[in-house]
Amino acid sequence: MRRIIAACLLLLMPILLCGCAREQKIRIAVVPKGVAFDFWRTVRAGAEKAGSELGVTVIWKGPTDERDVAGQIAMLEDFITSKVDAIVMAACDAKALVAIVNKAREAGIPLITIDSGVDDKSVPFIATDNIEGARIAAQTLVRLIGGKGKVGLIPFLRGAATSDMREKGFLDEIKKRPGVQVARKLYSESETAKGMAVTEDMLTSVPDLAGIFAANEPGAIGAAQVIEERRLAGKVKLVAFDAADSEIAALKKGTIQALIVQNPFKMGYEGVKAAVSAIRGGHVPLYTDTGVTVVTRANLNAPEVQTLLAKPGKE
Amino acid sequence: MGPLVALLVMGAALSFAARDFLTGDNLANVARQAAVIAILAVAETIVIIGGGIDLSVGSLTALTGVTAAVLMSSGTPMAIAAACLAGILCGLACGATSGLLTAYGRMPSFIATLGMMGIARGVAFVVTAGQNVTLPAAFPEFAAAEALGVPVPALVAAVVAVAAHILLSRTVPGRHTYAIGGNAEAARLSGIPVKRVVTILFALSGLLSGIAGLVLTSRLTIGQPTAGQGYELDAIAAAVIGGASLMGGQGTVPGTVVGAAIIGVLRNGLNLLNVEVFWQQVAIGVIIIAAVFFDQFRRRR
Repeated sequence: MRRIIAACLLLLMPILLCGCAREQKIRIAVVPKGVAFDFWRTVRAGAEKAGSELGVTVIWKGPTDERDVAGQIAMLEDFITSKVDAIVMAACDAKALVAIVNKAREAGIPLITIDSGVDDKSVPFIATDNIEGARIAAQTLVRLIGGKGKVGLIPFLRGAATSDMREKGFLDEIKKRPGVQVARKLYSESETAKGMAVTEDMLTSVPDLAGIFAANEPGAIGAAQVIEERRLAGKVKLVAFDAADSEIAALKKGTIQALIVQNPFKMGYEGVKAAVSAIRGGHVPLYTDTGVTVVTRANLNAPEVQTLLAKPGKE
Repeated sequence: MGPLVALLVMGAALSFAARDFLTGDNLANVARQAAVIAILAVAETIVIIGGGIDLSVGSLTALTGVTAAVLMSSGTPMAIAAACLAGILCGLACGATSGLLTAYGRMPSFIATLGMMGIARGVAFVVTAGQNVTLPAAFPEFAAAEALGVPVPALVAAVVAVAAHILLSRTVPGRHTYAIGGNAEAARLSGIPVKRVVTILFALSGLLSGIAGLVLTSRLTIGQPTAGQGYELDAIAAAVIGGASLMGGQGTVPGTVVGAAIIGVLRNGLNLLNVEVFWQQVAIGVIIIAAVFFDQFRRRR
């Protein structure tokens, strides 16, 4: 019995130590939807840059799985309990996180949403205008396939605001083009393996597919891998959202023809800035569009594109 | 005894390390966060004591939750009550199916419930077309509410645990369960209706998964077909930390509840202390191994 207690205490030592070392600076919790993808790492870099410029502590923590709504709720509850000064979050689900927004409000903790908002329009939201971004993606893809043919769409998660908006923007724009039809729409569930599987199924069932739009990084990487395996690079045009290292590599190789690049660094940066401004009683606009840029092999090396693609914190 | 001491030591350490740990609000949060896993862990304990394993509890949580969510869409109190009942019955039916396959189909329960895990998850996607289901406004209030100062999800878990404890420790079917898990052949020879009891154990597990599904859905404020992913492993971990043996015949509900509390407190504490999520997974893994290791050690002496 005594051994058990001793072992437990030993396990808990580091916890006790870091608990004692807590500092008194303003603490801002930044809670992304996931932590695994480059996109979120760039958000983190932006958040930390703003944090160091403004002299506040940025606490970065998110669920390991983007579908883990319950896990994200629990993390946010615990941040509210530990009385952080503000919360910046990307909601795993627009409806399910509304209750947490209310809890934060009751606790007097300012809350800013980035990238994926909640169904409460009074909460400041800093993000890419995803409908507009997907519309630009559709225009780019239509141009690449020469204005006619069948295309496939790979959104990631039905019900996730970002995915739904990209789907809508893309479909709206394609509807305006009589020569182009959306032949397949299959979800990647934000998993590369699923992205590969749905791309394989698309190419098998629609042999004359002219192009694919993948609405986020895992879907894009999955699609690019299949297109390369089947030696269809350049024949099936691929336009994808985001700019992970693997996506840029595929762009250079010619598997991906165009990337619709958001500005996640700016989301993290502006998110923390808005949070600090809210703590200090300043004005925070309800909506900030961080914009998209179409990156192709032609403009990849332009200085403004290189700044956008820089991944701070990764030497 | 061991797990309870570990929980108390952890609690004591955390109340020093994180000044917000030992507050009423936070303890209510922990109870709310751990309730679903606790209910599933009790379900798992019942099956494990009987010598089986149930891998489908996480998927059943999602299936029963979305079934209820879809059925209650009209939002009248009658519809909500009927939908809850339907969700629980759905869990019961799935559990009973796994039980029949195990007992009468002579399948290893690992396989029968692995299949059920896939079926339930798939049907949850089919029922919802992959989309999250909006709930009538009244239903989420239930998980957010408190009764006698205790969050309702925790009360539900407590009622489930007490009922299961009485069933296992004070009734004839309970004693049969331990006997079957200890040695099924000996149990059969001594006249215990092994097949019937095993079927009932899985049916009970399904029923409790249904209750967990309702609690989780109410807490999430949406019916989510992807909910409860991996919860079966947390439930098994809680049972094992609490002293249940995967060989069968051993385990108690109070032990399991303590096991679930250890996992819940650990997650919450590590969140409060701002430990990276990746390390949380490592910590829970270490605790599982440590618990079983010390248990073996103690038994051998």
